[in-house]
Amino acid sequence: MSEWYTNDGKDSDVVLSTKACIVRNIKGYNFMPRLDDKECQSLLETIDKAIDKDVYVGGNASNIDKNTILKLTRLQILGREASQMANPERKAFYYNDDVSLSVAVGAGEHLTVKAMAAGHDISVYKKAEEAVLDLESKLDIAFSENYGFLTSNVRLAGTGLKVLYTVSLPAISKTEGGIAALSQRVGQYEWSIYPFAERGEIADSDVYIIASVNTLGVTEDEVLKRGEMLISDVIKAERALRDEIASSKKDQSADIYGRSYGTLRYANMISRSEALQDLGWLRLYHDYDDTGDINISWNTINKLTMDILWEPEAPTRKNSQSVASQKFRAQGIRKILKGAD
Amino acid sequence: MRCERCGKELTNRIIKINGVTYCENCARLMGYDRFLKDPSDLLGNPFSPLDQIASSLMQMSELDFGNSTLTCPKCGMTLREFENEGRVGCIECYNTFNDNIVREMFKQQGNSEYAGRLPAQSADTDVKTAEIPQEIKKEAPGKQKEIEVTEKNEAPTKEEQEKAPAGKSGKGLTLEQLMKADLGMLSDEDLEKGIKVAADAEEYKLASRLRDELKGRKEGEGNV
Ligand SMILES: [Zn+2]
Ligand SMILES: [Zn+2]
Repeated sequence: MSEWYTNDGKDSDVVLSTKACIVRNIKGYNFMPRLDDKECQSLLETIDKAIDKDVYVGGNASNIDKNTILKLTRLQILGREASQMANPERKAFYYNDDVSLSVAVGAGEHLTVKAMAAGHDISVYKKAEEAVLDLESKLDIAFSENYGFLTSNVRLAGTGLKVLYTVSLPAISKTEGGIAALSQRVGQYEWSIYPFAERGEIADSDVYIIASVNTLGVTEDEVLKRGEMLISDVIKAERALRDEIASSKKDQSADIYGRSYGTLRYANMISRSEALQDLGWLRLYHDYDDTGDINISWNTINKLTMDILWEPEAPTRKNSQSVASQKFRAQGIRKILKGAD
Repeated sequence: MRCERCGKELTNRIIKINGVTYCENCARLMGYDRFLKDPSDLLGNPFSPLDQIASSLMQMSELDFGNSTLTCPKCGMTLREFENEGRVGCIECYNTFNDNIVREMFKQQGNSEYAGRLPAQSADTDVKTAEIPQEIKKEAPGKQKEIEVTEKNEAPTKEEQEKAPAGKSGKGLTLEQLMKADLGMLSDEDLEKGIKVAADAEEYKLASRLRDELKGRKEGEGNV
């Protein structure tokens, strides 16, 4: 079965992925920060009974082997933060065959259901909702008429829903004041934008996450509608600026495009930020290159970008700059580009 | 908490602009210098525009952690722990920290009324992935206006603090209150007392709803 992020997605020149996350908690159990180990075992068992084994594989995190952890990181079920796998006996992960749908137990809230799709694809909401409805019918879910679904993190109380678009915005990033203007636009929709970076990291790419904020005072439908309006604006703005840069600075852009491809294709060692910068240029000028010399599909650009962003071999940036990891990364990229030639 | 622009962990100052959190460095890079002034400078300056003073005051109030020793009777979470982590320990915490939770929610959302779907009911949504025409190349120049926003860098204006939901009602609830109550929000104690109140008034349906709620919490097994 192919893995979800290697599928062709819509608007994949800008949008890497669309995700819908829904969190829920079970009545009768304290939330995770106050759940003792014994109760936690009982919670894991209760949820395990409710998980549809025809749809999902997986289970208690302490039984997941190292290779599967790497795979689940690359497929964006687990964050790259190593702390995600702390206390594995208190967590469980379930996922479907292409890993586009997953249920994490004990990762912040009792239940985190996540649906993911390549490119711009809001149908992920329905997919996540369907999975959650199934669990809601089998489990006693913490819910209040005033606050909606109750959560340990009070900022999620209400719908418990977050919609996230991961976008690559080389042209807006390279335009002076571009990101500031975009942040304001996003704020007007009451959504948020933040660079792809994890705790303690410096953002070193033009990849951003555009995420919904409100879980109270809005229906699920309103969240989705706003998100779709916002992401359309973002896609149009990024394309317009690529157009502007590619036409007003044609020679320079063509030059950097070729050099970026050359580096990715033939480098023996490459740092994470350099690879991401080069991929940003490939993305910016891809549709304007009329030489026909460079043959790389959007799918390949996106796969490489996500592989490097979620690089499972470098769960912390500490080792990701070492000679060994720079070589490992460069070889991985060369292999994929050679295959695409 | 970290800067939403560069991802750096925030150590001393937290600058919030339009709901986005920045570190000092990024706020400066993005031209938001006026937010970086010490709030006392602004207050001492008679020419400070009102919105600057208001936004500084809001920043200060965000950093004003209560030192109350309020503790959740069910899970032992203290108010201070909640304020430090933004996380509560159990359902009962929502009653215990009611005012503080609502304030926390207001920081993020203009409105604290729940408007989403009910458990086990599908949300009524027909949103389809928006169609965006691929071919917008070679349009008139000046396209970058798309992302220009005319508004100035207004401070967040979310202080329309609505009244906190009047959920909390102290010792034992009356029959009428029980009828209207959001059962998920009642404490175990309220439920126990409520069952008696309802039974005394021969409201057996209500009594059994209350009993189910209480039972669901104690067993925690749901109906798997
Ligand atoms: Zn910053
Ligand atoms: Zn509690």
